[in-house]
Amino acid sequence: MKYAMFVGCTIPARLPAYETSTRAVLARLGVELVDLPFACCGNTVRGLDQDAYVFASARNLALADRAGLDVLTPCKCCFGNLRHALRFLSQDAGLRARIGRALESEGLALPEKVQVHHLLSVLFHEVGVQAIAAAVTAPRTGLKVAAHYGCHALRPSKVTQFDNPLAPTLFETLVRATGATAVDWPRRLDCCGDPLHDANPPLAGRLTQAKLDDARQNGADVLATACPYCQLRFADAQAGRTDPLPTILFPQLLGLAMGLHPGRLGLPG
Amino acid sequence: MSASSFRIAVYIALGLCALGLLWRLSAWLRVRIGPDARAIPFHRRLASALHGAFSFAFSRRLPGVLKAFLLDVLLQRRLFAEAKVRWLGHLLILLGFTALLLMHALAALLTQKLFKGYQPTLDPYLFLRNVFGAMAVAGIVLVIAGRRRAQRVAPTAHRLGDRVFVALLSIVMVSGFLLEAQKIASPAAFQRMVDEYFGEDISPEDLSALKAAWAVDYGVAFEDAAADPDPALLETGRELHKDACASCHSLPTSAFVSYPVSRVMGPAVRPLDDVDAAKWLWYLHVFACLLGLAVLPFTRLFHAISDPVSLLVNGAASSRPLSDAGRASRRALAIDACVRCGLCDTRCSVAPIARFMNNASLLPSHKLLSTFRFAREGRGRLRDGARYDRIAEGAFLCSSCGRCTERCPVGLGLDDLWTAQRDDLAAAGHPAAAKWVQSRTASEWADLLPAPPGEGPAVAPLSSDRRTFSPCVQCQTCTNVCPVVAHTAGAGDGVDLTPQKVMNLLRLGMVDLALGSRMVWDCATCYQCQEHCPEGIRVTDVMLELRQSAYRRLATVRDRRRPE
Ligand code: SF4
Ligand code: SF4
Ligand code: SF4
Ligand code: SF4
Repeated sequence: MKYAMFVGCTIPARLPAYETSTRAVLARLGVELVDLPFACCGNTVRGLDQDAYVFASARNLALADRAGLDVLTPCKCCFGNLRHALRFLSQDAGLRARIGRALESEGLALPEKVQVHHLLSVLFHEVGVQAIAAAVTAPRTGLKVAAHYGCHALRPSKVTQFDNPLAPTLFETLVRATGATAVDWPRRLDCCGDPLHDANPPLAGRLTQAKLDDARQNGADVLATACPYCQLRFADAQAGRTDPLPTILFPQLLGLAMGLHPGRLGLPG
Repeated sequence: MSASSFRIAVYIALGLCALGLLWRLSAWLRVRIGPDARAIPFHRRLASALHGAFSFAFSRRLPGVLKAFLLDVLLQRRLFAEAKVRWLGHLLILLGFTALLLMHALAALLTQKLFKGYQPTLDPYLFLRNVFGAMAVAGIVLVIAGRRRAQRVAPTAHRLGDRVFVALLSIVMVSGFLLEAQKIASPAAFQRMVDEYFGEDISPEDLSALKAAWAVDYGVAFEDAAADPDPALLETGRELHKDACASCHSLPTSAFVSYPVSRVMGPAVRPLDDVDAAKWLWYLHVFACLLGLAVLPFTRLFHAISDPVSLLVNGAASSRPLSDAGRASRRALAIDACVRCGLCDTRCSVAPIARFMNNASLLPSHKLLSTFRFAREGRGRLRDGARYDRIAEGAFLCSSCGRCTERCPVGLGLDDLWTAQRDDLAAAGHPAAAKWVQSRTASEWADLLPAPPGEGPAVAPLSSDRRTFSPCVQCQTCTNVCPVVAHTAGAGDGVDLTPQKVMNLLRLGMVDLALGSRMVWDCATCYQCQEHCPEGIRVTDVMLELRQSAYRRLATVRDRRRPE
């Protein structure tokens, strides 16, 4: 199991613990990560310039393709953008030609074989729940975890092919593999509000709050995420609260259950 | 030029340099970048700078900062990791230039006092001058070549003064070597030295013996030199030379650059002598040096001052967060401390997007300069500046990945500057597109944003194709699952349409009415609507495409004022 690690822009800048914990857990589970000179997935122009966005994604995909590797990303927005780009390229011959020319001018070729996977998909489908359960030495028994799916991994399912979009089980299954209990909460598939935060902070805040309240009401001790934007949104929304609902990145939860030292997971201690 | 007029010229250059320095240094306290910085008066920034300087001078962080200065500024370790050719060039210029400055230009102050019997024409000084000069010239060539290569990845920004230093340095080096070559081969220079040393006390026989020796051993291009002089004459000449000249003149072959140059010049030195070329070359050499000194604060050489200060400020900031005033000054300092190395550009996460959109304003080295220009030009001129649209595009497309800040060899706090730049632009009427859209209603935008000619399937394949939206049965499923609709609290949120209504506008051919709508721009891209639509309509993809169409058309709107 070997992947090109697409860490994106936000994780190194604002949530380095996510990269640290992802690398630590995957290394322990025998997943090899390769670093390529990736740049932005195109998220910043996605809603402004289609060609520029697809080019940004395609350039990264072309780099992975040239290295003969599939892409693994811990970011759900990068995941969605990269997968959408492949989709757009396969649907639109004109776009394909334009992007192909631009890639050529950089000495690259249109991506052909490369696939894009999210961290959670790799854990679930490639590593496998059994192998994970076998690696768990310090099960988080009794911990009640609300798993937050994240829009851009789940939907549109035709593009992301992450799990059943209406009744997914992948994340909860992974949570249970750590020995913890996955709570059922009605808003688990809802948006965290982050993409709206710059344009309309009050409205975004209400989306975030609704989710936090729901997780709390359904008895969650902790909210588990697997995307830097969701994680930061939940943390920022609760800044200054004396009793915040703790949020944890899934590889941190898993790493703890695997007996890794918190310091290696970017956690205090 | 007499010694006194030379001295006056030096003083004038020094005076200009001092004035320039004062001006440039005061800019660190004057230039205001970011709305927060505009609220801070000059005297508070001066006070914070003095306070910072004093408390830092007596802190224990100094050794760490000196180490950073050595590794980052002098040895350029990050440049080494990124671009070996340019690193070598920088080091060669730094060493060669500094050595020449100290040993040659400041000989009267330093070398003569330190080394008894110093003569520029005597080894090892003659040899060393050529070594240092060759280093500087090789450095210039390497730096220019390396920059050329880096420019192919991303065009680094530059300021007017950036090339002045390299240009003047090149003039100084070339004129220096030519001057030395001319003097080596010049019969007139020989004659002048003979006159100075012997005066009238040399017989014509001795003179022709000495000339024979200098023609053979020193390569002076006498007009009447015999190709094959009489060995006895040569012997006499060499004896005379040993007594009179050798104590000040090593063999010119030690000048391993100038001597071959003088051979190339060959017989041309005599006509050059006739026009007093050595004198003019000396003037050029000295004039370029003094000009360089006078304009130093406005050339790239200024980074020899600004970079250490920048590192000191970083050192101070790492122990205790800077005050508002300190941060404001640090931003202004960053503009001067940037050496336009372009390392940030080569690692910038949106550099590929900059290339694709053909907008260099996305690149950090360019953003740094546009930030500064904005501060200088003020907000008045921005009303309808297409240029500032490009700059704003660059500012708001930054993904805040922090790689530029991490890479910058001078340790500039670029992330803070980018935030300040975005705030400045927003305050001046160039906010992010999503914010700008909020300044008018959807129907106002519909009037302002007519479809530009040629907009069709190539740029808007979904919204220009009826098959995308005609199956919509207006069932409202999309609206019912939309979290933005569900959480809209009322008019205060500004969210005007619903996803289903947007689809209906498309069906009615009224796409212009959707472009500037808050629903389109405040869509959270959660894809609930697209996932749930019973007709399989790509509702979210359409929303994003509508934004893209609007963004393209927004670029045609020059006047940003609200209608009265
Ligand atoms: S923070 Fe912005 S300017 Fe700096 S490297 Fe990242 S995308 Fe480029
Ligand atoms: S900001 Fe830093 S890295 Fe970028 S060009 Fe200037 S000195 Fe170089
Ligand atoms: S869910 Fe689909 S069919 Fe129904 S109103 Fe929305 S776009 Fe139209
Ligand atoms: S993608 Fe946008 S329009 Fe669709 S449901 Fe989500 S927020 Fe609403």
